[in-house]
Amino acid sequence: MAEKPRIKVPKEAKKGEVVEIKTLLAHPMESGLRKNEAGALVPRKIINRFTCEFNGTLAFACALEPAIAANPYFQFTVRVEESGTFRFTWIDDDGTAITADESITVS
Amino acid sequence: MRSAALVAMLAAAVAAGLGVYVSPVSAQSAAPVPLAIDGDASARPWHRYHEWPQRDSARFNTLATLTSPPAPTAPRKLARPIAGDPALGAKLAADRARGGSCLACHVMGPAGGADLPGNVGPDLSEIGNAKLDDETLFNFIYDARVYNPDTLMPPWGTHGIFSDEEIGHLVAFLKTLKAPARFKSELDDPAKRPPPVEKRDNLDSMLNPAMWAVDEKAPALWTEPGPKGAACAGCHRDAAQAFKTWAATMPRWEPRLGKVLGIEEFVTRHAQATTGHAWPIESAENVGLAVYLRFLANGSTIAVDQESAPAKAAYERGEALAHHKVGQLNFACVDCHGAGRGAGKWIRGQWLGQMRGALDHYPTWRTSLQATWDVRKRFQWCQVAVWANELPPDAKEYADLELYLAAQSNGLKLNVPGIRH
Repeated sequence: MAEKPRIKVPKEAKKGEVVEIKTLLAHPMESGLRKNEAGALVPRKIINRFTCEFNGTLAFACALEPAIAANPYFQFTVRVEESGTFRFTWIDDDGTAITADESITVS
Repeated sequence: MRSAALVAMLAAAVAAGLGVYVSPVSAQSAAPVPLAIDGDASARPWHRYHEWPQRDSARFNTLATLTSPPAPTAPRKLARPIAGDPALGAKLAADRARGGSCLACHVMGPAGGADLPGNVGPDLSEIGNAKLDDETLFNFIYDARVYNPDTLMPPWGTHGIFSDEEIGHLVAFLKTLKAPARFKSELDDPAKRPPPVEKRDNLDSMLNPAMWAVDEKAPALWTEPGPKGAACAGCHRDAAQAFKTWAATMPRWEPRLGKVLGIEEFVTRHAQATTGHAWPIESAENVGLAVYLRFLANGSTIAVDQESAPAKAAYERGEALAHHKVGQLNFACVDCHGAGRGAGKWIRGQWLGQMRGALDHYPTWRTSLQATWDVRKRFQWCQVAVWANELPPDAKEYADLELYLAAQSNGLKLNVPGIRH
């Protein structure tokens, strides 16, 4: 049911280069403040944390709050010194972790 | 995913081998395209989307019915002078629950402390200096058609949006307006406010979620066998090649249905006849395929037939429908989107686009709603927004209107899916 995360990482980079990474996850980011037709609160369900690790080392992380819009989009930069794999993780309020990997060749 | 594709091809091959199925027909071939002719392509009775306003406007015109009360033939005579309260009138003028407030269309000096007033109607900031008598002001609000049959203004009194007493308060308020509007900024002045420009790359799936249908959903549906065992890919293996220009020629007159056929309804009826898939208009599958089929023709010049006799007749019906007043607010398409009327002006902070170019990017992603809307849903929303009951998305009136509107974009290039607020 969940959409596959969309990730843009360059395939190749030079040693020491700062590369730009873009990620987007389809997610409703239900704030927990809205009411349904019956007037009851719609339970909160957001991605509350996003991390990006490179070869097992944390490269970027952030906490997300209920005011963040649906389909959270991140654009950030990472300096790469070696070839390897980025692991992206989105943690949902319900405990689910959505992960995706992208590799890069550094010369 | 891969195994599903294999099954689909296998199923299609079996079907073709046994000769029990429709032969592969390209969309452009002269042979009649298989279509399910019977039944409707969307739910009957039609129920409005649950997240939309549920107001029932059955007392007023729809695109298919004429039920609105008739326009008065003469101004109403007032039995006594108006004794309205200007303060209450100012409140009513800014009341957004009454069809959008007077400020939606008029600059009104200090009324409501309004930001972003509109300019579809004349600036009323100095109407109090015009020395108009109470009866004239009253009738202009009650039903301006008695003075100008071509007015765009809703008949607030005849259509029961404001009571006589409330119109009295509005008249009292109008008489207090005697100084030119002072705007807080250039943005607040509709004459100087710059029209919105859409600069985002609408084909970048990181920016436009409607592109996800192109990336994943539609290609998956393409190879998914339906109840009859076949998949789209069985006949249309190379979708990109087969549908390179097709969408730019739609909608078109379909003699077997006796109506204009848009892409969405085509998908419903063709799938029903070939694969057996139930993909009614406005289902996620239908919207996804409608995006995909138009995307494949991106860059093609829109060239909708409006010359053949039945197409010409449909065009003329569509043109008439574009002038047909609907709803409690009594608006026709051309009132807001016709040149010399609302097009290029502002309804409050919303800019009114012209008809040419309105269809070249549909279905489009609505950033404010987080949803992909096809053109029929956009038509339906226009109706609900002017307090009219919408028709089912496959209504023949919408079909004629779509042909008329698409023809306005003839010569432009298809660019789907769009992205808009």
